[in-house]
Amino acid sequence: MPSRSMFLRILWRLLGASRGRLTVALIALTSGAAVCSALLNVNLDAERKLTQEFRTLGANVVVAPPSGGNDAALADAGILDRIASLHFARIVATAPYLYVAANSGSQPVILAGTWFDQVSKMNAWWKVEGAAMTSRDDREHCLVGVTAARQLGLSPGSAVQLRSGDRTLSMTVAGIVTTGGAEDNQILTSLESVQNFVGLQSRVSLVQLSVSGTPPEIVEVTQKLAETLPGLDVRPVRQITAAEGTILGKIRGMIFWTIALILVLSMLGVLASMAALAMERRRDVGLMKALGGTVPRIMRLFLAEAGALGAVGGVLGFLIGVVLARWIGERIFGVVISARFEVLPITILLTVFVALAGSFPLRLLGRVHPAEILRGE
Amino acid sequence: MAPVVQVEQLEKRYGDVRALDRVSFEVETGEWIAIMGPSGSGKTTLINILGGLDHPTAGRVVVDGLEIGNLGEKELTRYRADKIGFVFQQFHLVPYLTALENVMLAQYFHSITDEKEAAEALKRVGLGDRLDHVPAALSGGEQQRVAIARALINQPKVILADEPTGNLDEVNEGVVLKLLRELHDAGHTILVVTHSQSIGNLADRRVELEHGRLARIVTPSLAKD
Repeated sequence: MPSRSMFLRILWRLLGASRGRLTVALIALTSGAAVCSALLNVNLDAERKLTQEFRTLGANVVVAPPSGGNDAALADAGILDRIASLHFARIVATAPYLYVAANSGSQPVILAGTWFDQVSKMNAWWKVEGAAMTSRDDREHCLVGVTAARQLGLSPGSAVQLRSGDRTLSMTVAGIVTTGGAEDNQILTSLESVQNFVGLQSRVSLVQLSVSGTPPEIVEVTQKLAETLPGLDVRPVRQITAAEGTILGKIRGMIFWTIALILVLSMLGVLASMAALAMERRRDVGLMKALGGTVPRIMRLFLAEAGALGAVGGVLGFLIGVVLARWIGERIFGVVISARFEVLPITILLTVFVALAGSFPLRLLGRVHPAEILRGE
Repeated sequence: MAPVVQVEQLEKRYGDVRALDRVSFEVETGEWIAIMGPSGSGKTTLINILGGLDHPTAGRVVVDGLEIGNLGEKELTRYRADKIGFVFQQFHLVPYLTALENVMLAQYFHSITDEKEAAEALKRVGLGDRLDHVPAALSGGEQQRVAIARALINQPKVILADEPTGNLDEVNEGVVLKLLRELHDAGHTILVVTHSQSIGNLADRRVELEHGRLARIVTPSLAKD
């Protein structure tokens, strides 16, 4: 029989021999692995889900003509086709804006034309009293910013007539929108209506983009856009990108230190079991040495035992961790965390490492003097 | 032919205590030697040094042409695997391995395992029907027979037995002694530490120790004459 088979045979017997102590060690390893697996799953999946969530918090990249001191600079609407032709999967929504000055009665107001199908994707947090607008082609209605509505005395269902020079534009107010931003002072309607109203067909003031991904990924997309759109300013919205980076960084830091702490606690649990096991095995090691077993050969048996325990603990822990991650995701982040199988090898490796580190007392058995042990000292 | 064991002026000190004091004797191949003496006379120390489990303080020990006093830990481990078969008073079997696996364990540390050969060794000591029993399921006599099969499995140059019948009842003592006699008849070199005069009388020679010194070497057959 090849020696490898005998090695596995002894290993199997070792695992069966000290079931009580090994079960305690296995519970420590599985618990640690479960928490690690859960946190790693949360880290990987929640990061992806949270960056998706961030995309509903507004644009994080703006494309605009260089201002150069001229605030009224406009870009050709053809840039929208050029952005679309890039087929960047990371671009979640593209909303062009054309801003013009108009009058409602005697009061000046900013009229913004945009694509509401994209705006609604990008700004899910906007509060609308009345009806929201979601269609790009709706030329009958408009949304009025909450401040502008107060100044103009408008409410949902009101008729509004705007003038610019000798042109007029009549619409019905669909809803009053609160954004906390510049839109609160504006009237928003379809891009095409505004372009026709002021005779600026195929012109836009700027394009807002919602780009998914981590902050470095967003910067990468920004750089590629800048290369593709020469002559235009492509800028990330720093506050949003930085906020995303800070939140994700904090989550990552918390997860890293929690995993480190849990692994140390697991190792201490394994250490306690293995110390007791080492006392039980002194005689066996003494005997093995007397029979001609070299220290490395005997230690390989014990380390393989610890490694096998770590691997089993890692697999069990991963499975429990997936369930735990799902629970954490739902309870804390409000998202469904899916099992990430790349976490399995990481969990197993970490758990095997902890098992081997925790089996330090078994390694001290290499110092056992067979004559003393066999005399019964 | 050179003696298989040569002990010359062997000394072993533990601090100020001399466990062995200038002991010298030789053992020929195929001889059965009984090492006897009162408790504390140095019998176990002597057998431990012969078995490479302990180092001499001074003197020379040569086994099968190898001076073991000069060997490092690694070489001593190899020496034990290659040249020595141990039988202990407390049997010292690995409790979670079967009888067969306990014998194979000695093969494993020596070279490669051969399950058939290990089973044959157990059949030779009358345990052909106990191969898959763990030590706890065997009687004391049966456990000692497993230990004897394990001691023989690697064809050692010398079998060292420390009180092999010390933990056995009369019936099992008889069985183990019969086995040792058969091994002797088959040409094995055996050194047995014993308190038992009857076992001493079965040996070719008795090496008797007192206070760590060689008191006398007796040849029982001549003594009877």
